[in-house]
This record gives sequence, C-alpha cells and structure tokens, in this order.
Amino acid sequence: MTHAPRLQEAAPSPRLTSPGLLKNPALLLVPAVVFLAVIYLLPLFDLARVSASGTPWWTHFERVFSVPLYWESLLRTMQIALIVAIICAVFGYPTALLIHRSRGIAQTLITAAIVLPYFIAILIRTYAWMVLLGRNGPINKFAMWLGLYDEPLGLLFNRGSVLLGIAAVLMPLMVLSIYSSLARLDPSLTRAALASGAGPLAVFWRVLLPLTLPGVGAGFLLVFVSALGFFITPTLLGGPSDQMFAMHITQQADSITGEGFLQALGVVLLIITLIVVGIAGRLLGLEFIWGGGKLSEAEVQPLKSSATSSAGSRRKLGAMIADAVGWPVLRLLGRLPAEWGTWTVRLMGGFVIFMLILPLLVVIVISFSKASYLTFPPAAYSLRWYEKFFSDSTWMTAFWNSLTIAALSACIAVTLGATAAMGIVRSSIRGKSVLMLLLVSPLIVPPVVLGLSLYSLFLRLDLVGTYWGLAAAHAIGGIPIVVVIVSASLQAVDRRLEQGAAVHGASPLTVFRTVTLPAIAPGLAAAVFFAFLHSFDELVLSLFLSSPRMRTLPLMLWADVNYQLNPVLAVVSTLEVLLVVGGIVLARPVLARSRGAT
Amino acid sequence: MVDTAARRSSRTEQTLSIPVQETRAQGVIGSSISIREVVKAYGTFRAADRISLEIQSGEFVTLLGPSGSGKTTLLNLLAGFQRLDGGEILIDGKPIHNVPTHRRGFGMVFQSYALFPNMTVAQNVGFPLRMAGVDRATSERRVAETLEMMRLSEHAKKAPTEMSGGQQQRVAIARAIVMRPKIVLMDEPLSALDRRLRESIQIEIRDLHQRIGSTILFVTHDQSEALTMSDRIAVMDAGHIVQFGRPTEIYRHPESRFVASFVGESNLIEADILQKRGTTMILRSRSGYVFQAESRSAPSEDHVTVLVRPERVVLHESASDATASTIVVSSLFLGEMLRIEVEMAGGERLLIRCPDAPGRSLPPVGSRLHVSWGAEDCWVLS
Repeated sequence: MTHAPRLQEAAPSPRLTSPGLLKNPALLLVPAVVFLAVIYLLPLFDLARVSASGTPWWTHFERVFSVPLYWESLLRTMQIALIVAIICAVFGYPTALLIHRSRGIAQTLITAAIVLPYFIAILIRTYAWMVLLGRNGPINKFAMWLGLYDEPLGLLFNRGSVLLGIAAVLMPLMVLSIYSSLARLDPSLTRAALASGAGPLAVFWRVLLPLTLPGVGAGFLLVFVSALGFFITPTLLGGPSDQMFAMHITQQADSITGEGFLQALGVVLLIITLIVVGIAGRLLGLEFIWGGGKLSEAEVQPLKSSATSSAGSRRKLGAMIADAVGWPVLRLLGRLPAEWGTWTVRLMGGFVIFMLILPLLVVIVISFSKASYLTFPPAAYSLRWYEKFFSDSTWMTAFWNSLTIAALSACIAVTLGATAAMGIVRSSIRGKSVLMLLLVSPLIVPPVVLGLSLYSLFLRLDLVGTYWGLAAAHAIGGIPIVVVIVSASLQAVDRRLEQGAAVHGASPLTVFRTVTLPAIAPGLAAAVFFAFLHSFDELVLSLFLSSPRMRTLPLMLWADVNYQLNPVLAVVSTLEVLLVVGGIVLARPVLARSRGAT
Repeated sequence: MVDTAARRSSRTEQTLSIPVQETRAQGVIGSSISIREVVKAYGTFRAADRISLEIQSGEFVTLLGPSGSGKTTLLNLLAGFQRLDGGEILIDGKPIHNVPTHRRGFGMVFQSYALFPNMTVAQNVGFPLRMAGVDRATSERRVAETLEMMRLSEHAKKAPTEMSGGQQQRVAIARAIVMRPKIVLMDEPLSALDRRLRESIQIEIRDLHQRIGSTILFVTHDQSEALTMSDRIAVMDAGHIVQFGRPTEIYRHPESRFVASFVGESNLIEADILQKRGTTMILRSRSGYVFQAESRSAPSEDHVTVLVRPERVVLHESASDATASTIVVSSLFLGEMLRIEVEMAGGERLLIRCPDAPGRSLPPVGSRLHVSWGAEDCWVLS
C-alpha cells in the first residue's frame, strides 16, 4: 500500500526533465538506427513493393512457384542446407568436446585452427577446395599414389563437393556455438555424474547433451540459415544440377528480365529465411543470432514461472525420447571400453581440424609454385606469382580499392556500432530486444537479397561504383559484428567501478575516458579489425554495387576463379591468411588481457 | 559440587545414548581408506607430496587446510578425477587406481551443488540408482526414503533451480547417499551457504553419518566446521598432512606453529627456560612473566614456543606474584564472549576470551589488566 504511490512518482520523472532526456544513453542508438533504416530497411521494403507490383500482386510469386526450375531449386536449397547443418552438428560436437577437454597450449592451437578459417573469405576457402579436389589436385594424386584408382576422378562439380564446401565454410560457426554452451557448464556437473556411477557415454547422453542442446540448436539454425543464402560456394563447386536458389537471383540480375520477378525471387528467399529464424527464435530466444546472453531488460521480466512450465513439458518429452530410443543403444555401446569414446572424439575432432586447415596449407604451398598451371605438389618453387601480383597494376588497383573501402567501412561500422552498443547496454528504454534484433539482423539476411535490394537504391542515388557507396553497403554487415563485440565487452565492465569513479568526483565523460574506455578497448580493437575484414572480404554486395571501373580484390578474384585457376589467386589467398593470422597474433596480448580481467 | 557435576554428565550420557545405540544397530557400512605415499605433481609443483593417511571404516574424517594446501587434490585423487603420480590408495585393502570414477561407487557432494539442471529433484536423487540399473519400483522407493530422510519429500517434483541454496545442497547430499555408498566425499559442501544455514546442515550431516554409517571424507578450510563435525581431522599444508588426530588433540595439543595458529585463535609465546626438572619447566616470556609449563619431552634447547589459548588466560582483580600486568589495546563484546587484546611489557600482544557473565564489564582501552595462566593451560610446541 505505502509503496504504490512512491513507485508512481518515480516512474515518470526521467521523462519530465528535458536535460535528462538529452543525457539519455538511448540517444546513442539514433545514428545507427537511422543509418540502417535508410540503407538497409528501406531498400528491403522497396524490394518487397516492387516484387508485388504485378497485377494481381502475386503474379511474380506465382511464377516462382509454378516454374519447376525455381521451386525445384528452392527445395534443393533447403535440402542442401539441412544436410549441411546435420553434417556440421555431427562433426561439430566432437570437435567442440575436443576443445573443451584439451588444456593449455593444445586448447589454444585447436581453437585457433577452428577460428582462423572462419575469418578467411568464403571465396578463398572455396577456391582452396577447388585446388584440393581438382583433377591434378593433391587428393587425386594421393589416391592414385595409393593405387586406389588409375585415372584422376572428377571430384568437383557435384553434390558431394557442394556439401563438403559449404559444411567446411560453416563448420566453425557450429563448433563455436556448441563450445560456448559447453564452456558455460559447471565442470563439477560431469564429475557429479561420474561420481554417481555414470560411465562416459551416460555422462554425455544424460548430462552434457541435454544441457548443450540449446547450443547445438543455435548452431544448427545458424548454419541452416546461412546455407540457405549461399551463393559463392555452390557456384564454384557445384555442377548444373546443384543450382541453389541464390544463384538464380544473380543469374536473373545479369540477364535483364521484367521488373518484379527478380525481386520476387529475393523476397521468397528472404521470407523463408525469416520464417526459419522466427521458429528458431520461439524455441531458443532470438539471442541465438548473436550467440549472446539475454539483455539486462529480459532479466527483469518475471517470466520465470511460465518459462519453466513450458520448458518442463518439453523436457519431459525429450526425456521420454531419450529413454526409449537412445538409452538402449547406449547401453550396448557402453560395453565398449571407455577409451573408444575418447578416441572417437579425438578422431572426429582431428578430422574436422584437418579439413579446415589442409586447404589453406595447400593454397599457401601452391602460391610458391613455378608452374603456370595448378598442380600439387609443385614441381619447382619460385616467387614468380608474387612478382606478378605486385607488378600487375590491375591487381594493385583492386588491392588499394579494397583497402580504402574496408578502412572507410570499418570507420562507419565502428562509429555507429559502438555508439549503438553503448545505447543498448546502458539505456533503460523499452523494446531493447527489438532494437538489438534490428541491429544484428543483417547477419541473417542473405547477402544476395541485400545486394539486390541495394542495387536500385544505389542507381537512384548514383552511388554505384563509389568508395562511399560500397563502404556504406559493407558497413551494414559490419555494424552487427561491432554491436555484438562491443556490447559484450560493455556488459563485462563492472558498473560499480564506474559508480566508484563517479562517487569520487569524476564527471560522466571522465568516467567514460578513465574507466569504461580502457575496459572495452580490447573489444573495440577487435571490432575495428573484424569490421575491416568483413568489408575487405565482401564479394556478394560488391558484385551488385561496383562498376567495371572500380573493382575490389574479391571481385578480381571472382572473375579469375571463374575464368582460369592460376596461382595468382593462391598468392592473394596467402596474403589474406597472413593478414588474418597477423591480426589475431597482434590482438592476442590484448585478448589475453581482457580474458584475464574477467 | 562433584556430585552435581557427576549427575549432570550422567544425564547427558543418557540422552545421547539413545540415538547412538540406534545407529550402532544399523551397523557400520563404511570402508576403510588407506592412502599411502600419494603424490600428485603439476610440473615441479607438488599438490600432494607423499601423503599417507589411514582412515578407519565408518569414520568421519575432515581434511582441513588453507586453499592450495592439497586437500581438494587429495579428494579428487580419491574420486578418480585425477591420476596418481605416485603411491597408492586402497579401499578395504584393495588398490583402486585402475577403477574408473563411475565404478568406484562413492557418493560425492560438491561446493557448487552440481545438480543436473535438466532433471527434477527426484530425478537427480534417482540418478545413481538409474546408472546402477536398479529397477523402477525399487528406485522410486529408495528415492522417496532418501528424500524423506533429508526432509525434501514435498520438493520431489521441483527443478533444482527453483530451490534455495540450502535446499539444493540437501538434494545434493541426498543424491550422494541414495546408494548407501561405503564412502561419501564432500568437497567444501557448506562454503557457499550463509552461517546459520551452514550450522544447521553441519548438524544434519553429522546425524546422517550416524544413521548411514558410511565413511565420510569432508574437505573444508573452516576450522570450526572441522572441529564440530569430525571424528578425526587431518590438517594439511603445502601438500603435506601436518597433523592427524581427534579434534580435541588438534585443538589442545597442536604439533606445530602452523596447526596452532590455523586451528582456533592462539597466543604463541616465546619463552626462555629458566629451570628444567624432568618435563616440568619454569619459563620466562619476553615480557618478563615467569610461569610453569609441562612438556612431553625434555627440550634440548633453552628456548621454546608456548601456546596459550585465549580462553585459558585468567583475569585477576589485583596484581600478585603469579600475574602479569598488561594494558588493554582493544576490547570487544561478542555476545556470549568478551574478546580482549592486551599488550604485555615489551610489546607482546595477548588475546583473551572470557565468557560473558553477570556484572562483567568491558575493560576500557588503556586500562590495566592482571592476567595469568597455569601449567595446565600451556602447551609447549616442539
């Protein structure tokens, strides 16, 4: 009774004072939100509008679903994405376990082997697989040397190579997602299960797997959604019968078709993606997109009782399935010696690491080849392809273009993303989760759809083929990366330190400069690096938005990969690997410091 | 006087004897544990350095020591979470180094409770039964019994996260004893709980031990917890067991300065030997106070360290030959006790605890106090 009036007094007071309004950290969200609304949401709405411009409005959609070429491709795309997600889950779990169980330097190395490829351009990793699986590639050579067959096999351009390529590209996403949920577990849970008489298999089935299922689910859906929009890998590794949906969009964009149908294709892909994400969000909470914990706002809501009851019924169903199907099988397997389990994890994890690292190693070796065609191992070594790359003016121009655009894009993404992260973490406005969703949603929109939607906007504003235009387009994908990293490091800052500084007389700006900024500096540095890398590697948007006069490095690579496979590509790939390794090595002390602090 | 004391003790005996006899009727099911020359090394650091310990069946033994002393390492070696680098551990005379954790059949309680969040309370408690392949009906009965024993019956269907810390730890204890294991390991199970809860669960664990008769190995860094709960205490320091004995022995007759200062509050008084007559000595402290002490053996040096527990120091109204004059430097009222710190001549500090009594007042800081202690109040450290 006595509390009620006081609460009512307290609630409206922040809104009444106007200086308080100006100081509201929610204002920090405005620049990023405006930027995304103009350059990201608006074009997408426009895309939807154009797609529905036929008479009647569904004409174009009807064509998508009536022409077998398209709906068969749509089904095929979902099938491929599903298989890829299953492959990633089956192989990703043991790999995550391997990281979880290893210690010290071994853990660092294994983690690096998983994480490193993730930061290398999809185009380059796909190119590496083309080299690896090629007629004169190391796999054919090795198999023939073993005497498995006499003639080199066509390992490329089939469904298998597409699945392998996409799974290899997306595997790190799955491994990291599972690993983060393993790492969050209380280590004494495993010990408690062991002490209760559970063998290693029972520990896995009864404790580890049920508790990490959200991580597996998040990884599964991320991989599935990303695979849906894949364009580069299936184009390069697939044959005529492996056409994925995103490829139709680019093909249609090249051939001038009637306005509307192209957009309808994009909208269909976008809607399917959104439906999957929506279902995933209901099951897992939309946090799975950015792999983070709940926002502070969510903790306040008294959702607990309802959440536990629904979780309880789900748990019961899960337990029944686990009992009826899994347990009898495991009982049989349980008769095997315990070492088998350990070795299964090691072998599968080792296989995954091998598959992620091997292509890069092969490409690096080939870049030093003397031959003018691709062969492995090279007959002789030279630096001739490096000379060619650095002396060829078209390559160098493209290289500088990419550097400039990436630098600009990183500036935009970090400025907007970091302020938005401050706004998200530090303000107490309602609808935080909606805003966060807006900020990170570019991560899940298929790049092909984004490129298509931006194209008409860029034509109208005459931005096609300009530095700023491309930088801004790349920043759409850079902002989510920055927001995720910076808001995570902001949440790790102990607010009591800031309060302590304020109590002892520091002004808000001084508090930020002396306490907050040093604490989030490692996160900011990482954000700059990854935003830069994102733009530097970006291909799909650039395909839509650059002009023949202004080409970026990935565009040059793309043109060359489709035209002829020569070792210059290997040189560029090696340089990219060096860039990423260098960046991570440079960032390591900073990262180690930040990890020590938490 | 003697009469009333005798009567009082006999009455205590009677009230105590009833539950004790009940437990003896159920019998001891615990195993004996022999730890022999056990070594665990991390690089050059030895977390356990040739530890030997003989624990009898059904005993409640506490490993007590500061953090990093090796007590948790020893427990982990026993549980099989870590491999021995040397020595052996025998359970009922049989070596266990080749038996994996899940076949050792121990119960274990963890500091973080370690309840499976994906299972209800009843499922958590039933987990060991299920792993042992016990049939459903028996399993349900045993779970119900154990929950009843821990007064948790009404929480059976709850998720562990819906319960308080104390309740969660009682569930964890229930899970550890549901199989009636011969050995229960407890790794600082009470350190996450607040003091009042800790004390009530201490008593609960003590009672449980009496009822189920398992051998319990309990790890703690809290010396008062160790003193109240254990049959015997192994005090550990830097990978060694520095003393193993009954709580009264550990408290009254510590074998080293470390044990004396780690267990309970202590005054360690440096004194010169003035006179030796067999094991009886006349000593003089640095402050010049002359007192008598008994030693187990005749010391070879002419200098000893003497332990005087704060509650053994006697306060006097006035000075006499047998007292030392001191000045009060701090004076605290703790409720049932007064805690007074005084400075002796020469700057030596002395801690005094005396029970609160009618008419007793806190001596003001700076005032003079006359103190003494007798030969039976001192313990000469070797």
